[in-house]
Amino acid sequence: MRVNVRSLRKAGFLLLGAALMLLAGLSFYNSRHLKEPVVLGPSVTEVKKLSDYFEGLEGTINDANVYVLEGQEPGGSVLILGGTHPEEPAGRLATWILAENAVLEQGRLFLILSANRSGTTVTRLGGAYPPDYSIETPWGERTFRMGDRWSNPLDQWPDPEVYIHYPSRQELAYMDIRNLNRTWPGRANGTLTEKTCFAIIQMIKEEKIDIAIDLHEAELQYPVISVIVAHEKGQDLAAMTSMMISGMGGFDLGMENSPHALRGLSHREIGDHTDAISLLLEAPEPMLDATRGRTDRKLLLEGKDEFVVKAGEHGLLFEKIDENGWPIDVRVGRHCSAILQILELWTEDHPERGVVVTSVPRYAEVIENGTGAYLHDHRKVSPARLRFE
Amino acid sequence: MSMFQSTQIILAVMVVTYVVIRLLKVSTELALFFAALAGALAGGAGIPTRHIVEGAFTYLDIILIFVTATLFMNLLKESGGVAFVIRGILSRFHRHRSVLFVLITLLLLIPGALTGAGSVTVLITGGMIAVVLHYMGIARPRAAAIIFILAGLSAAAPPVSLWAMLTAAGVNMPYVGFFLPLLIPCVVLALLTIFILGWKGRPVDLEKALAELPDAPAKMNWLKVILPFLVFFAFVLAGRIWPHSLPIIGLPMMFVAAAAVTFLLSPVKLDFLKVSRETIHQLLPLIGTLTCVGILVQVMTLTGVRGLIAVTIVTLPLTVVFLSLSVVLPVSEAVLMWGAAPVLGVPLVLLFNTIGLNPIVALAGMSVIWPLGDALPPTAIIGRLTKDTVGMEESYGRMLAYCLVPAVLIIVTGTLMVVFSKELSFLTLL
Repeated sequence: MRVNVRSLRKAGFLLLGAALMLLAGLSFYNSRHLKEPVVLGPSVTEVKKLSDYFEGLEGTINDANVYVLEGQEPGGSVLILGGTHPEEPAGRLATWILAENAVLEQGRLFLILSANRSGTTVTRLGGAYPPDYSIETPWGERTFRMGDRWSNPLDQWPDPEVYIHYPSRQELAYMDIRNLNRTWPGRANGTLTEKTCFAIIQMIKEEKIDIAIDLHEAELQYPVISVIVAHEKGQDLAAMTSMMISGMGGFDLGMENSPHALRGLSHREIGDHTDAISLLLEAPEPMLDATRGRTDRKLLLEGKDEFVVKAGEHGLLFEKIDENGWPIDVRVGRHCSAILQILELWTEDHPERGVVVTSVPRYAEVIENGTGAYLHDHRKVSPARLRFE
Repeated sequence: MSMFQSTQIILAVMVVTYVVIRLLKVSTELALFFAALAGALAGGAGIPTRHIVEGAFTYLDIILIFVTATLFMNLLKESGGVAFVIRGILSRFHRHRSVLFVLITLLLLIPGALTGAGSVTVLITGGMIAVVLHYMGIARPRAAAIIFILAGLSAAAPPVSLWAMLTAAGVNMPYVGFFLPLLIPCVVLALLTIFILGWKGRPVDLEKALAELPDAPAKMNWLKVILPFLVFFAFVLAGRIWPHSLPIIGLPMMFVAAAAVTFLLSPVKLDFLKVSRETIHQLLPLIGTLTCVGILVQVMTLTGVRGLIAVTIVTLPLTVVFLSLSVVLPVSEAVLMWGAAPVLGVPLVLLFNTIGLNPIVALAGMSVIWPLGDALPPTAIIGRLTKDTVGMEESYGRMLAYCLVPAVLIIVTGTLMVVFSKELSFLTLL
């Protein structure tokens, strides 16, 4: 039989393509459906959904869990957002530590571990991110999804040619219509990302949240780094937090005012559209730098990179870096300490609206014991005390 | 072994693989793909299927814009609309060389500006403009140089400038404020190019020119040509005026709507499937290159090669960075095409931002220089496409020689825009 070489070659490429699609497809499917366990801590009294506050999110991937922690004494209410940008894992891990460990003595704490859950199911095209990462614990490993800055295009697509923010009408980059930290305060009839912001705004209003804290990480080449960004309502609180942390917390934390000209960000819009004080915390994450070297789980967790160090030697960075890098425990610890400091200062000034939290590790403890020391063995708890992200 | 040394070895493996594959006369797309594969293997990542597929999807949106915009322009061409416009302009202005040059500049700038692809300019209007230029007494290589340079500038011109868009996306910067910083240099440089290269010639031989140009259908008129563009701009404007009341349909669907109007208004019966097939066939090399560039960039990021290139460039002395733009940008374009934007554009813009330059104007300046690389090997897709479309029988080098003067003007303008971007920042506010 005469073999047509051209057809054979085409069939070969087709098979190769199919094999690539199958193998990669499995990886994408597994990432999107990876279950991240959350062992409910002693003070978690209820796990609500965002759709409890806005029906429009019901049945969507962004109908995130809202963990409600309540103290014995009445007090104020604080919301902490992790996973606004799921490519910044320290924020998510800090909320995990709070959900599994925090003991509330006064007031209420609301935690969202995956503010943009859609964004946790995709990694950045061209970014070569690992699909997941594992944290060592005394009982084994806990695996988490690595996500992207933006919602998954599978959940929200296409993008407009330019994104016009609601309600300011400020023009922003087209893909930022999928950026949860550019779509505040959101719209009831908007895109999935806008609806998510709208739902959280409704929650803040309904639950009379006093302070909303949005947890982030930033590349070292980005000027807003290692800071607490504050709406004008929270300037005193942020300044005091910055002073206390930088003086006694073991690390430097700057403070910046939320600019009026830049719209759609949580520190601006939550403060403008609700009664809550809005704050945003940034920790350094070398894996986000454009000059980074090999992109893998090691870099994600250890934050060590020779190329970024070299960029720093040439004065191109806004945060220092040396051969020790910025390990995940350092980044998570910064967020934990900053949150605790904010709560303490707030409670001192507003005892009747105070939120008193114990059993949450601070910076030095997270570094000493590791983040994994505060993640509990999900295989040993009853299903009633277990949730999945 | 330090990270620098190991990454340099991976980069060397990728370069050698690329060169060897090209020497074996395999296409640029496959050479890019195999270079990526070799880089992944050398970097110890094995065959990273997830990264290959993820990288392949990096430019999906851009590919969809390409396909739909080119389909629209091809339908317009097949309906006789493009020939109608060119014949009309030639008949009306053949005695006014300067006016003719200005109109030809517009005709060459619009397709690429709308689609972000110089190849669309070459394919849609390039061939017919070449005929007009020929009857204006301009030799083929000179005409090819005009069309190539203007096609490149059309790709850099707003509203769709892919280099600027891709770089802006890479540094989380809104693609806003670019309109004038891109439009002014593109239009001025395009006019300078056509006047410099085309001024020496002879009066247009109208009869001969019209005889060689394709006929426009009798029932074609200006309304039928303009209406599809109006539909497209109506969608763009509606999205801007009522962004919170209308559904988001995206640029590709807007081009599809314009294509549908062209199809419905065409005075001749169009074979839609045939034009669609030809469009895909015509764009396949570009789609393949974009897909493989996406894979290559992903693997370069995975293995650290992208970081190595980035950190090497941004740590050069600033004067060297400015001076090297004239070489680095076109060469990176020649190798990576639009992949040059995320690989080189991102660290450069971050560097310029860090030292207090205006990142928008600086990026616009770089975007003007980048398309020059489309004439250089190993890809040289647009350069060779121009040579073929114009029907030039002389050597490719002749065309390149005529490109030299406008290329120098473009490089000097682009570099000055970067250096004086802070002083030019007012352009971004208008």
